[in-house]
Amino acid sequence: MTDDRYHPSHAGDTGSPQQPQGGPSLEALREILFGRYRQQMAELEAELDDLERRISDEDALAAIIAPVMGDAIRRKIRDARDEMIEALYPIIGQTVVRAVSEAIRDLARTIDARMRTTFNLRTIWRRLQARVSGVSGAEMALRESLPFEVAEVFLIHRETGLLLWHVSRDPDASPDSDLISGMLTAIRDFAQDAFGRGEEGQLDEIQYGERRILIEAARHAYLAVVVDGIEPPGFRAQMREQIIEVEHAHEKTLRHYEGDPTPLAPVKEPLRSLITAAEPRALSPAQKRILAGALGLMVVCLVGACLAGGWAWQTLRSTPTPLPVAVEPTSTPTSTPTFTATPSPMPAAIATPSPTFTVTPLPTFTPTATATPTSTATPAPVLGLMTGNVWLHGGPSAASPRLGIVLERGQPVELLALFGDWCQVRWTPQAGAEVIGWVPARWVGTTTPIPARIVTPTPGS
Amino acid sequence: MTVISKKVCLLGDFAVGKTSLVRRFVYNLFNDKYISTIGVKVSRKTVAVPRDDDVVELTMMLWDLSASEEFNQVRASYLRGAAGAVLVCDLTRPETLDSLQAYTDDLLRVSPDAQLIILAANKRDLADQQQLTPAQIEAVAAGLRVPYYLTSAKTGDEVESLFRHLGRLLVASS
Repeated sequence: MTDDRYHPSHAGDTGSPQQPQGGPSLEALREILFGRYRQQMAELEAELDDLERRISDEDALAAIIAPVMGDAIRRKIRDARDEMIEALYPIIGQTVVRAVSEAIRDLARTIDARMRTTFNLRTIWRRLQARVSGVSGAEMALRESLPFEVAEVFLIHRETGLLLWHVSRDPDASPDSDLISGMLTAIRDFAQDAFGRGEEGQLDEIQYGERRILIEAARHAYLAVVVDGIEPPGFRAQMREQIIEVEHAHEKTLRHYEGDPTPLAPVKEPLRSLITAAEPRALSPAQKRILAGALGLMVVCLVGACLAGGWAWQTLRSTPTPLPVAVEPTSTPTSTPTFTATPSPMPAAIATPSPTFTVTPLPTFTPTATATPTSTATPAPVLGLMTGNVWLHGGPSAASPRLGIVLERGQPVELLALFGDWCQVRWTPQAGAEVIGWVPARWVGTTTPIPARIVTPTPGS
Repeated sequence: MTVISKKVCLLGDFAVGKTSLVRRFVYNLFNDKYISTIGVKVSRKTVAVPRDDDVVELTMMLWDLSASEEFNQVRASYLRGAAGAVLVCDLTRPETLDSLQAYTDDLLRVSPDAQLIILAANKRDLADQQQLTPAQIEAVAAGLRVPYYLTSAKTGDEVESLFRHLGRLLVASS
């Protein structure tokens, strides 16, 4: 069933038999009517594609907008500088602060490293000072590398420019301080009128080379401080405090100043304090106490260490740690023992209260040819090592006289005889010289057992 | 001895001889070029003035102000706090006398207390060029109610007297 009703879409139809769509004639017509637009659309599509490609490519986009942005920023800075500064400050300000902080930290580290590797009294003192002051050694060194000195302090009447008081580091300061204060006031007024018209600001510093004039003003007077170098933190605040104090204390005089500075004499000391504030800071009483305590402690420690060292030395000399002496046990001591190194060995059985000694009871440093020939066969010397610092005695007892020689720990000796707890040793301090004497056997160490041949039986053993 | 200081301004037209008065008779530390750069130069004149049984050492800080128009704005600042002034005119130029009233008005507007004013009619050494008579000077001085001196910075005539007179006025008022 066909729909023969009128349809708006058919309004254009001529009622002629329908032609298949896209026929050659229609297509030709379309080409005639819309060909130009189709071409333009194709070009637009191409351009859009290119634009899309460029937008998606960040590098290409940056290359396109960079020149425009540069121009835009320049124009904005020119037209609205304050606005741009305000907008950029959070970024640039922080960046600058960070960079400066890092640079200062690097400088401090460098100084600190140098200080740590430098050992001299000045460095030690600076470290101690830094510790007492509560700052790092690097900060102290940094502070010292930025010298600061207050040369002169002017208290000037603001309205008249008359000098109220002047304090100088140099006692032979120029007598023209009143002229300087007048011209300084003129320059201040000039700067204010020329540059600060309608603004609250005022001239607060004049710089000439390394020398600067710092200015702090109150209502009726102002302070001008001539300084060299970089002022420490808080110095400006100190200036401000001083001028406010002066203003409060002498408000009436300053308001109706008649040119007589005598009533302002009390300001001299507060002004001088600005000069002394710049001097190397003296330690506070508390810091002095700490320093004195530290020094006292150091002295006590030093004395204690000396005493302890002396005591230890004495102890080592008198009662060193005993070491066992290796002695070969002899169950059957020889009945005819002989002293080694004795020219005429005597039988031990001789009833003598004390053993006979070697023929060299006193030490001699003169070379003795083969000492004393031994009649006994001693195939090999018995070598030992002193295990403590021990006096050399003339006989095998503590009561026997000392020979004035101390055999020190570690010295090699030759064991000549063993009598009771005493050992006869030969010490050769140098080639061709020897000393023979007796030492307690416990201070002589041997690596091999002491052969029985050099052991002299004690009476009753 | 009492020591006091006062600020005194020198006022007058261009080339009337203010700087010459200052240059020759007061202590200078700064170069005159300051007058042309910032419009003022400060100098010092110290005089001993008897007062009762005492002698007052008075230091007058003299502010030599430029008459150039370019410093009109800043001149008012320089007049602040002045205790007195020296008005200077040129005996060879009558117009310099006429402008003294304006300078006085400016001064009193900024510093109402600066009542101690003295008039210096300068260049009296140029006798054959004088166009102002003493009577004219006296008339203007009377109108301003100030004492006057006929001075010569070149020869020094009456300059010291002028400053001593001003010194007495300043000391008497303090």
